[in-house]
Amino acid sequence: MKLPQLELLVGAFVLAGLAAVSWLTVKLGARNFVGGDTYAIEARFDNAGGLNAGANVVVAGVPVGRVEAIRVDASDFSAIATLRVLAGLNLPTDSMASIKTSGLIGDKFVALSPGADETFLEPGARITLTESSVDLESLIGKMAFGSLDKEPAP
Amino acid sequence: MTSRRHLMIIAALMVTAVTAGASPAEAEKRLRTAVDEVLGVADDAPNGDALSSRVRPVLERHVSFETMTRRAVGFGWRQFNNEQQRQAVRLFTTVVIRSYTDKFTPGERPAITWQPAVSPASGRVDVPTRMVYAGSNYHVTYRMEDVGGWRIADVTIEGVSLVANYRSQLDATFKKGGAAAVLQSLEQSISRRP
Repeated sequence: MKLPQLELLVGAFVLAGLAAVSWLTVKLGARNFVGGDTYAIEARFDNAGGLNAGANVVVAGVPVGRVEAIRVDASDFSAIATLRVLAGLNLPTDSMASIKTSGLIGDKFVALSPGADETFLEPGARITLTESSVDLESLIGKMAFGSLDKEPAP
Repeated sequence: MTSRRHLMIIAALMVTAVTAGASPAEAEKRLRTAVDEVLGVADDAPNGDALSSRVRPVLERHVSFETMTRRAVGFGWRQFNNEQQRQAVRLFTTVVIRSYTDKFTPGERPAITWQPAVSPASGRVDVPTRMVYAGSNYHVTYRMEDVGGWRIADVTIEGVSLVANYRSQLDATFKKGGAAAVLQSLEQSISRRP
Protein backbone atom coordinates (compact mmCIF):
# COMPACT_ATOMS: atom_id res chain seq x y z
CA MET A 1 0.00 0.00 0.00
CA LYS A 2 2.97 2.26 0.74
CA LEU A 3 4.72 1.76 -2.62
CA PRO A 4 2.10 3.32 -4.96
CA GLN A 5 2.02 6.38 -2.73
CA LEU A 6 5.77 6.82 -3.03
CA GLU A 7 5.57 6.38 -6.82
CA LEU A 8 2.84 8.95 -6.98
CA LEU A 9 4.99 11.34 -4.99
CA VAL A 10 7.98 10.81 -7.29
CA GLY A 11 5.71 11.27 -10.31
CA ALA A 12 4.38 14.54 -8.94
CA PHE A 13 7.92 15.71 -8.21
CA VAL A 14 9.05 14.97 -11.77
CA LEU A 15 6.02 16.79 -13.17
CA ALA A 16 6.74 19.80 -10.97
CA GLY A 17 10.35 19.73 -12.17
CA LEU A 18 9.25 19.64 -15.83
CA ALA A 19 6.82 22.49 -15.25
CA ALA A 20 9.58 24.56 -13.65
CA VAL A 21 11.92 23.91 -16.58
CA SER A 22 9.31 24.83 -19.20
CA TRP A 23 8.39 27.99 -17.25
CA LEU A 24 12.08 28.93 -17.12
CA THR A 25 12.47 28.32 -20.86
CA VAL A 26 9.56 30.59 -21.68
CA LYS A 27 10.75 33.26 -19.25
CA LEU A 28 14.33 33.14 -20.50
CA GLY A 29 13.18 33.26 -24.11
CA ALA A 30 11.41 36.55 -23.56
CA ARG A 31 13.85 37.82 -20.97
CA ASN A 32 14.85 41.40 -21.01
CA PHE A 33 18.56 41.25 -21.65
CA VAL A 34 18.89 45.01 -21.74
CA GLY A 35 20.07 46.24 -18.38
CA GLY A 36 18.94 49.41 -16.63
CA ASP A 37 15.66 51.31 -16.66
CA THR A 38 13.32 50.73 -19.55
CA TYR A 39 9.98 52.04 -20.79
CA ALA A 40 7.33 50.55 -23.03
CA ILE A 41 6.06 52.00 -26.31
CA GLU A 42 3.73 50.46 -28.84
CA ALA A 43 4.02 50.08 -32.59
CA ARG A 44 1.10 49.42 -34.93
CA PHE A 45 1.75 47.16 -37.91
CA ASP A 46 -0.60 45.98 -40.64
CA ASN A 47 1.16 42.64 -40.51
CA ALA A 48 3.61 41.44 -37.86
CA GLY A 49 4.17 38.06 -39.54
CA GLY A 50 7.21 36.26 -38.15
CA LEU A 51 7.88 38.73 -35.32
CA ASN A 52 7.87 37.11 -31.87
CA ALA A 53 7.92 38.34 -28.30
CA GLY A 54 11.57 38.54 -27.24
CA ALA A 55 12.77 39.78 -30.65
CA ASN A 56 15.40 42.53 -30.67
CA VAL A 57 14.61 46.21 -31.05
CA VAL A 58 17.52 48.06 -32.65
CA VAL A 59 18.50 51.64 -33.40
CA ALA A 60 21.34 52.02 -35.92
CA GLY A 61 21.96 48.29 -35.60
CA VAL A 62 22.49 48.46 -31.83
CA PRO A 63 20.07 46.44 -29.64
CA VAL A 64 18.22 48.88 -27.38
CA GLY A 65 15.31 46.73 -26.28
CA ARG A 66 13.00 43.81 -26.83
CA VAL A 67 9.55 43.10 -28.17
CA GLU A 68 7.56 42.45 -25.01
CA ALA A 69 4.25 41.33 -26.48
CA ILE A 70 2.26 41.26 -29.70
CA ARG A 71 -1.51 41.40 -29.85
CA VAL A 72 -4.28 42.05 -32.33
CA ASP A 73 -6.21 45.30 -32.09
CA ALA A 74 -9.81 44.13 -32.33
CA SER A 75 -11.01 47.44 -33.80
CA ASP A 76 -9.14 47.20 -37.11
CA PHE A 77 -7.30 43.85 -36.93
CA SER A 78 -3.89 45.45 -36.94
CA ALA A 79 -0.96 44.05 -34.96
CA ILE A 80 0.15 46.02 -31.91
CA ALA A 81 3.65 45.22 -30.68
CA THR A 82 4.74 46.40 -27.25
CA LEU A 83 8.40 47.38 -27.33
CA ARG A 84 10.46 47.80 -24.16
CA VAL A 85 13.38 50.14 -24.79
CA LEU A 86 16.11 51.78 -22.71
CA ALA A 87 14.94 54.74 -20.66
CA GLY A 88 17.76 57.03 -21.78
CA LEU A 89 16.63 56.78 -25.38
CA ASN A 90 14.55 59.81 -26.34
CA LEU A 91 12.81 58.84 -29.55
CA PRO A 92 11.22 61.70 -31.56
CA THR A 93 7.46 61.27 -32.10
CA ASP A 94 7.85 60.75 -35.84
CA SER A 95 10.27 57.86 -35.41
CA MET A 96 9.53 54.92 -37.67
CA ALA A 97 9.47 51.23 -36.79
CA SER A 98 10.17 48.60 -39.45
CA ILE A 99 10.09 44.83 -39.15
CA LYS A 100 13.32 43.60 -40.69
CA THR A 101 14.88 40.20 -41.19
CA SER A 102 18.46 39.42 -40.24
CA GLY A 103 19.84 37.93 -43.42
CA LEU A 104 17.54 36.50 -46.05
CA ILE A 105 15.66 33.98 -43.90
CA GLY A 106 16.84 34.93 -40.40
CA ASP A 107 14.91 36.09 -37.36
CA LYS A 108 12.70 39.13 -37.50
CA PHE A 109 13.50 42.19 -35.45
CA VAL A 110 12.19 45.73 -35.10
CA ALA A 111 14.40 48.54 -36.40
CA LEU A 112 13.61 52.02 -35.10
CA SER A 113 14.76 55.03 -37.07
CA PRO A 114 14.57 58.31 -35.14
CA GLY A 115 12.64 61.11 -36.79
CA ALA A 116 12.98 64.89 -36.82
CA ASP A 117 10.26 66.00 -34.35
CA GLU A 118 11.25 67.95 -31.28
CA THR A 119 8.74 66.14 -29.08
CA PHE A 120 9.54 62.67 -27.81
CA LEU A 121 7.57 59.45 -27.48
CA GLU A 122 6.22 59.14 -23.94
CA PRO A 123 5.94 55.75 -22.22
CA GLY A 124 2.87 54.02 -23.66
CA ALA A 125 2.86 56.15 -26.84
CA ARG A 126 2.21 54.43 -30.13
CA ILE A 127 4.33 54.54 -33.30
CA THR A 128 2.01 54.48 -36.30
CA LEU A 129 4.59 55.24 -39.00
CA THR A 130 5.64 51.66 -39.50
CA GLU A 131 6.69 49.20 -42.16
CA SER A 132 5.26 45.71 -41.79
CA SER A 133 6.98 42.46 -42.58
CA VAL A 134 7.66 42.38 -46.29
CA ASP A 135 6.31 39.12 -47.59
CA LEU A 136 9.45 38.06 -49.42
CA GLU A 137 7.99 34.78 -50.61
CA SER A 138 5.06 36.41 -52.39
CA LEU A 139 7.33 39.08 -53.88
CA ILE A 140 9.70 36.40 -55.20
CA GLY A 141 6.67 34.48 -56.43
CA LYS A 142 5.37 37.53 -58.30
CA MET A 143 8.80 38.07 -59.83
CA ALA A 144 9.42 34.45 -60.73
CA PHE A 145 5.99 33.52 -62.04
CA GLY A 146 4.71 36.96 -62.92
CA SER A 147 1.59 38.62 -61.61
CA LEU A 148 -1.71 37.07 -62.62
CA ASP A 149 -2.99 40.42 -63.84
CA LYS A 150 -0.04 40.98 -66.10
CA GLU A 151 -0.97 41.07 -69.73
CA PRO A 152 1.32 39.38 -72.24
CA ALA A 153 3.89 41.71 -73.76
CA PRO A 154 2.89 42.94 -77.21
CA MET B 1 -28.89 72.75 -13.62
CA THR B 2 -28.83 69.00 -14.17
CA SER B 3 -30.65 69.23 -17.48
CA ARG B 4 -28.21 71.89 -18.63
CA ARG B 5 -25.30 69.64 -17.75
CA HIS B 6 -26.94 66.76 -19.60
CA LEU B 7 -27.41 68.98 -22.62
CA MET B 8 -23.74 69.94 -22.54
CA ILE B 9 -22.63 66.32 -22.31
CA ILE B 10 -24.88 65.37 -25.21
CA ALA B 11 -23.56 68.28 -27.25
CA ALA B 12 -19.96 67.30 -26.45
CA LEU B 13 -20.66 63.69 -27.43
CA MET B 14 -22.24 64.81 -30.68
CA VAL B 15 -19.25 66.98 -31.55
CA THR B 16 -16.87 64.08 -30.83
CA ALA B 17 -18.99 61.72 -32.90
CA VAL B 18 -19.12 64.15 -35.81
CA THR B 19 -15.35 64.83 -35.82
CA ALA B 20 -14.47 61.17 -35.31
CA GLY B 21 -16.78 60.17 -38.14
CA ALA B 22 -15.84 62.97 -40.50
CA SER B 23 -12.05 62.77 -40.30
CA PRO B 24 -11.29 59.54 -42.19
CA ALA B 25 -14.04 60.30 -44.69
CA GLU B 26 -12.71 63.82 -45.19
CA ALA B 27 -9.16 62.55 -45.65
CA GLU B 28 -10.34 59.96 -48.14
CA LYS B 29 -12.34 62.56 -50.06
CA ARG B 30 -9.27 64.77 -50.25
CA LEU B 31 -7.17 61.85 -51.47
CA ARG B 32 -9.68 60.93 -54.16
CA THR B 33 -9.73 64.53 -55.36
CA ALA B 34 -5.94 64.49 -55.49
CA VAL B 35 -5.83 61.22 -57.42
CA ASP B 36 -8.51 62.44 -59.86
CA GLU B 37 -6.64 65.70 -60.46
CA VAL B 38 -3.34 63.88 -61.04
CA LEU B 39 -5.01 61.43 -63.43
CA GLY B 40 -6.61 64.34 -65.26
CA VAL B 41 -3.19 65.88 -65.81
CA ALA B 42 -1.60 62.53 -66.65
CA ASP B 43 -4.16 61.76 -69.34
CA ASP B 44 -2.95 64.63 -71.55
CA ALA B 45 0.75 64.15 -70.87
CA PRO B 46 2.69 62.75 -73.83
CA ASN B 47 5.65 61.53 -71.74
CA GLY B 48 7.15 61.36 -68.25
CA ASP B 49 9.03 64.67 -68.49
CA ALA B 50 5.97 66.66 -69.52
CA LEU B 51 3.98 64.98 -66.77
CA SER B 52 6.66 65.82 -64.23
CA SER B 53 6.35 69.58 -64.81
CA ARG B 54 2.56 69.57 -65.17
CA VAL B 55 1.89 67.42 -62.13
CA ARG B 56 4.10 69.37 -59.75
CA PRO B 57 1.68 72.19 -58.88
CA VAL B 58 -1.13 69.66 -58.40
CA LEU B 59 0.95 67.49 -56.10
CA GLU B 60 2.23 70.47 -54.14
CA ARG B 61 -1.37 71.22 -53.24
CA HIS B 62 -2.14 67.71 -51.99
CA VAL B 63 1.15 66.34 -50.73
CA SER B 64 2.96 67.75 -47.73
CA PHE B 65 6.45 67.64 -49.21
CA GLU B 66 7.75 69.61 -46.22
CA THR B 67 6.65 66.83 -43.82
CA MET B 68 7.96 64.18 -46.21
CA THR B 69 11.38 65.80 -46.51
CA ARG B 70 11.69 66.39 -42.77
CA ARG B 71 10.84 62.77 -42.09
CA ALA B 72 13.00 61.42 -44.89
CA VAL B 73 16.03 63.25 -43.55
CA GLY B 74 15.12 62.14 -40.04
CA PHE B 75 17.15 63.03 -36.99
CA GLY B 76 19.63 65.22 -38.87
CA TRP B 77 16.89 67.68 -39.98
CA ARG B 78 17.31 69.78 -36.83
CA GLN B 79 20.87 70.58 -37.81
CA PHE B 80 19.84 71.99 -41.19
CA ASN B 81 19.61 75.79 -41.23
CA ASN B 82 16.53 77.46 -42.73
CA GLU B 83 18.07 77.90 -46.16
CA GLN B 84 19.25 74.28 -46.24
CA GLN B 85 15.79 73.09 -45.18
CA ARG B 86 14.14 75.07 -47.99
CA GLN B 87 16.65 73.74 -50.49
CA ALA B 88 16.18 70.16 -49.25
CA VAL B 89 12.39 70.38 -49.62
CA ARG B 90 12.75 71.72 -53.18
CA LEU B 91 15.23 69.02 -54.20
CA PHE B 92 13.42 66.18 -52.46
CA THR B 93 10.14 67.19 -54.13
CA THR B 94 11.85 66.93 -57.52
CA VAL B 95 13.39 63.55 -56.63
CA VAL B 96 10.05 62.08 -55.54
CA ILE B 97 8.10 63.43 -58.52
CA ARG B 98 10.82 62.30 -60.95
CA SER B 99 11.09 58.81 -59.49
CA TYR B 100 7.35 58.32 -59.94
CA THR B 101 6.87 59.96 -63.30
CA ASP B 102 9.77 57.84 -64.62
CA LYS B 103 7.47 54.85 -64.24
CA PHE B 104 4.69 56.60 -66.15
CA THR B 105 3.53 54.82 -69.30
CA PRO B 106 1.61 57.12 -71.68
CA GLY B 107 -1.92 55.95 -72.30
CA GLU B 108 -2.07 53.70 -69.23
CA ARG B 109 -4.61 54.49 -66.55
CA PRO B 110 -4.49 52.82 -63.14
CA ALA B 111 -7.55 50.92 -61.93
CA ILE B 112 -7.88 51.69 -58.24
CA THR B 113 -9.92 49.68 -55.75
CA TRP B 114 -10.42 51.71 -52.59
CA GLN B 115 -10.43 49.89 -49.29
CA PRO B 116 -11.85 51.17 -45.99
CA ALA B 117 -9.74 53.92 -44.43
CA VAL B 118 -8.41 53.47 -40.90
CA SER B 119 -7.31 56.10 -38.42
CA PRO B 120 -4.31 54.76 -36.44
CA ALA B 121 -3.90 57.98 -34.43
CA SER B 122 -5.63 61.32 -34.18
CA GLY B 123 -4.80 63.49 -37.18
CA ARG B 124 -3.68 60.42 -39.16
CA VAL B 125 -5.63 58.38 -41.68
CA ASP B 126 -4.34 55.45 -43.73
CA VAL B 127 -6.16 54.72 -46.98
CA PRO B 128 -5.25 51.30 -48.39
CA THR B 129 -5.85 50.67 -52.08
CA ARG B 130 -5.20 47.99 -54.64
CA MET B 131 -3.96 49.30 -57.90
CA VAL B 132 -3.56 47.71 -61.29
CA TYR B 133 -1.20 49.76 -63.44
CA ALA B 134 0.36 48.78 -66.76
CA GLY B 135 -0.65 45.19 -66.13
CA SER B 136 0.81 44.85 -62.63
CA ASN B 137 -1.00 44.65 -59.33
CA TYR B 138 0.16 46.77 -56.38
CA HIS B 139 -0.91 47.29 -52.77
CA VAL B 140 -0.61 51.01 -52.20
CA THR B 141 -1.43 52.69 -48.88
CA TYR B 142 -1.68 56.47 -48.65
CA ARG B 143 -0.82 57.96 -45.26
CA MET B 144 -2.77 61.16 -44.82
CA GLU B 145 -2.01 63.70 -42.13
CA ASP B 146 -3.88 66.69 -40.83
CA VAL B 147 -1.32 69.48 -41.19
CA GLY B 148 -3.77 72.38 -41.39
CA GLY B 149 -5.85 70.36 -43.85
CA TRP B 150 -5.45 66.76 -44.99
CA ARG B 151 -2.30 66.09 -47.00
CA ILE B 152 -0.52 62.97 -48.19
CA ALA B 153 2.49 62.51 -45.91
CA ASP B 154 3.75 59.10 -47.02
CA VAL B 155 2.97 56.33 -49.48
CA THR B 156 3.68 52.65 -48.91
CA ILE B 157 3.91 50.31 -51.88
CA GLU B 158 3.77 46.58 -51.06
CA GLY B 159 4.43 47.55 -47.43
CA VAL B 160 7.59 49.52 -48.18
CA SER B 161 7.33 53.14 -47.13
CA LEU B 162 8.63 55.92 -49.36
CA VAL B 163 9.75 57.99 -46.38
CA ALA B 164 11.45 55.05 -44.62
CA ASN B 165 13.23 54.11 -47.84
CA TYR B 166 14.69 57.58 -48.27
CA ARG B 167 15.34 57.95 -44.54
CA SER B 168 17.64 54.94 -44.47
CA GLN B 169 19.63 56.40 -47.37
CA LEU B 170 19.68 60.05 -46.32
CA ASP B 171 20.40 59.27 -42.67
CA ALA B 172 23.52 57.35 -43.71
CA THR B 173 24.56 60.27 -45.95
CA PHE B 174 23.96 62.74 -43.13
CA LYS B 175 26.11 60.75 -40.73
CA LYS B 176 28.93 60.81 -43.26
CA GLY B 177 28.88 64.42 -44.33
CA GLY B 178 26.11 66.42 -42.63
CA ALA B 179 23.52 68.63 -44.31
CA ALA B 180 25.82 69.56 -47.22
CA ALA B 181 26.26 65.89 -48.14
CA VAL B 182 22.49 65.30 -48.06
CA LEU B 183 21.85 68.24 -50.38
CA GLN B 184 24.64 67.14 -52.66
CA SER B 185 23.34 63.58 -52.90
CA LEU B 186 19.84 64.89 -53.73
CA GLU B 187 21.30 67.16 -56.40
CA GLN B 188 23.32 64.30 -57.84
CA SER B 189 20.27 62.08 -57.95
CA ILE B 190 18.41 64.76 -59.96
CA SER B 191 21.27 65.46 -62.37
CA ARG B 192 21.88 61.75 -63.06
CA ARG B 193 18.47 61.43 -64.61
CA PRO B 194 18.01 62.71 -68.14
